[in-house]
Amino acid sequence: MKARTSSSSLATRGSFHCAWLVFCAAALALAATLPAEAQEAARDPAYRAFPLIGSRLAVWAVAQLHLNFAAFILGVPIFALIIEIIGWRTGEPRYDWLSHEFVKLTFAAFSTTALLGAALLFLFVGYYPRFWTYMTSIFFPTYWVYALLFFAETFTVYLWYYGWDWLAGPRKWIHVGLGVLSNLFGTAILFVANSWVTFMISPGGVDESGALKGSVWGAINNFTWMPINIHRLIANIVFGGTIAAAYAAFRFLAAKTDEERARYDWMGYIGNFVALAAFIVLPFAGYWLGREIYAFNQTMGITMMGGFMSWLWIIQAILIGILFLGSNYYLWLGMERIPGSERYRKYVPPMLIVLTLGFMVWATPRSLVLTLDEARAMGGTHHPLLGVLGVMSAKNTVVNLMILTTFLSFVLYRRANRVSTRGWVGTGMAVQWAAFGVAAAIVVFYGVYGYFVESIVRIGFSVYQVLAVLAAIVLVMAIDIPMFRGARSTGRIRWGTIAPRSQYVLILLAVTFTWLMGLMGFARSGIRQHWHVYGILRDTSPEAVTPALGYAANVITVVTIVFFALVMFIFWLGGLGEKGRTATHGHAPAPMLAGGSDADA
Amino acid sequence: MRVPVGVKVGAFSLLVMGGYAYFANSIPQIESKPPQELSLEGGSVTPAQLVRAGEEIFKTKGTCEICHRIGQKGTRAPDLAGIGGRAGKARAGTSATQYLVESLLQPGALLVEGYPNIMPAVDKPPIALNRSELWALTAFLQSLGGTVDVVLADIPATAGAAGPGGAAAAAVKVPGDPAAGAAVFAGKGTCIACHKAGKLGASPVGPDLSQIARIQTPEYIMKKILDPAALGTVAGYPKGVMPPTLGQSLTAREYTDLVAFLLTLK
Repeated sequence: MKARTSSSSLATRGSFHCAWLVFCAAALALAATLPAEAQEAARDPAYRAFPLIGSRLAVWAVAQLHLNFAAFILGVPIFALIIEIIGWRTGEPRYDWLSHEFVKLTFAAFSTTALLGAALLFLFVGYYPRFWTYMTSIFFPTYWVYALLFFAETFTVYLWYYGWDWLAGPRKWIHVGLGVLSNLFGTAILFVANSWVTFMISPGGVDESGALKGSVWGAINNFTWMPINIHRLIANIVFGGTIAAAYAAFRFLAAKTDEERARYDWMGYIGNFVALAAFIVLPFAGYWLGREIYAFNQTMGITMMGGFMSWLWIIQAILIGILFLGSNYYLWLGMERIPGSERYRKYVPPMLIVLTLGFMVWATPRSLVLTLDEARAMGGTHHPLLGVLGVMSAKNTVVNLMILTTFLSFVLYRRANRVSTRGWVGTGMAVQWAAFGVAAAIVVFYGVYGYFVESIVRIGFSVYQVLAVLAAIVLVMAIDIPMFRGARSTGRIRWGTIAPRSQYVLILLAVTFTWLMGLMGFARSGIRQHWHVYGILRDTSPEAVTPALGYAANVITVVTIVFFALVMFIFWLGGLGEKGRTATHGHAPAPMLAGGSDADA
Repeated sequence: MRVPVGVKVGAFSLLVMGGYAYFANSIPQIESKPPQELSLEGGSVTPAQLVRAGEEIFKTKGTCEICHRIGQKGTRAPDLAGIGGRAGKARAGTSATQYLVESLLQPGALLVEGYPNIMPAVDKPPIALNRSELWALTAFLQSLGGTVDVVLADIPATAGAAGPGGAAAAAVKVPGDPAAGAAVFAGKGTCIACHKAGKLGASPVGPDLSQIARIQTPEYIMKKILDPAALGTVAGYPKGVMPPTLGQSLTAREYTDLVAFLLTLK
């Protein structure tokens, strides 16, 4: 243990101290924005101009980077804790190693997140003083809650990471408890910050002049607060999973030994599994968020989906289609390293067809801003044939079918090297297939029925579609787990023998999801158009124009490149401490998996 | 030669992101610009000009076209073809003008059967049409099958009050001459003694105004000249130096010229 706390420990501890300093600086800046002082300061300019690139671009870039890092350090600990609990309850040390490995990644990114958060705060205070004064007048009490939560989060994460060896063995439950606390504090921090962001989109608890009507709770609990809380929580897990999987993929590709390749193949699989599991429920959270935006303000909702942002959803559909196809392709490639999986290869072509068709329907536009010539050429604002596929009825239907298909991929992967020995296997299988079939039929039925009813009724159909899919997932897994418990193995998973192109798929997923996060951030901010706080505080700066998608895409791309460059640098720094380290640790050592595990995770 | 993994992964990632960015740049590029304010009060305007202005508002700032169609049945909101003619008969004892104005200001009170109550009051944020714009929009709606007879007095004086966001601030048009304002800046106003403004002046006593229109609202600039103490002193500069008497020493013309000049400094 002493050996471990040498180099790597010092590196991470140093970064943590840096985080502390940054946080203290931010706290000082926060203190400087006490309402009276802030109001005094804001008598001067409403805006200041950031040199060269302008204030908006500076805030945009720093906010996106900060959110990327924050999502990573909040998402990864959630599944790291789950993996640690699995290792604790099953007694399998490889899970403990993996959990520690994941937390190590977030630990290295902690200080960068705090640094970027402080930079964002400085930008708001310095370049958007009128806006910041107004936000402070509403949310000042939450600043202290945020600061206290940050302290609590820091202490528990610190203890969680450094107490890994100290709290091993019979004291493991205390260690797991620290992990739970860390995640609770982290989630609370997310919720507090979300209240500020969502208030800007859908202000609540204030009168027409923007003054607080009652308590600050009315402003916190606005229309989009809880949907964004849930959406971001799930998305953070997906994001964390994809980044962790990409890290593993990089290590796999750079591995020099079979053992190392096997270890990172397994880690990549787990990362992707986590991402995929969370990803299939993400669209549901997205629909809820969309519905709440419409409930808050129909004009905003319609502008978002059918106005100047309509093309954005086509790009989103393409990115999500790539994520679905990539995730499934990775699973199919992974089956090649599982003896006995040949039985299921015949399912791949039909699944690919469903996914591809679903992708195409989802990417079909309905309402786009057209020039008069374009509209004339098409014979109207909607395409005479394809326009039918552009409505929500069709899109809801295909996304649910894609989720079902992806789940089927996972189920087949899961049983690839196992043959159930249960006497009721035939019945179990039949019920499972029936569950898939009934869910698909319900989804299609409501999808078609949706064309014949009013929009307000149609919106409600998506709930039935989602429930049908979720019910099928629960039922299939409820049968699958006991059915394959104690199953006969057709061979061990040959970890490390997966085709290298599969690792590029993992990198593709991470890059695509990160880019998608940037795009969705632009959508979230862009729907406010020329308002800092929608309908309350107008953006009167020269930069009040909401830019076109091309410009937004260029910014998102550059920031994503910077993010990955920083991530690689941070991981490289974190890995420096590993070099030459041979001492044993209190937590589980790196597992030996090459060709020697029947683990199905 | 063996290509390092980092290079391969980096090139692959750049290719993926480049593809996304390329696609996003290939599609129609549409910006959302802040709506401009229209002011017709105090001016003479013909019904035809009013209708034209109203049609523009219908399609842009009013965001009416998102839900309403003209000559096409929509699912969200009624078809407005012929509304100018129908409006006078929609409710007994209510003129077409009254009906249309009320529909715009209190849409929930005059809901057309079969349609959801989703229309926002258009004089409130975020749409926030002012009186002139409401006047023009009503005229446009009247022109759809009816007679344009709405006058500004038909629009309630309380309608269209700007919210705290300062909706009017960004588009204030000052009827001054920037060139003459530059002369005031360098001459009678004595601003040049303390301020730099682009190529004019170099004094560091007061803040550099070379980008003042970029970082400040017209409202702030106008007020600052008349009552500098009321808006405080920019951090880092001496207090009480700016003369409080410019409101008396400058003529109205010189004042508007000076503001117009400052608004060119971006």
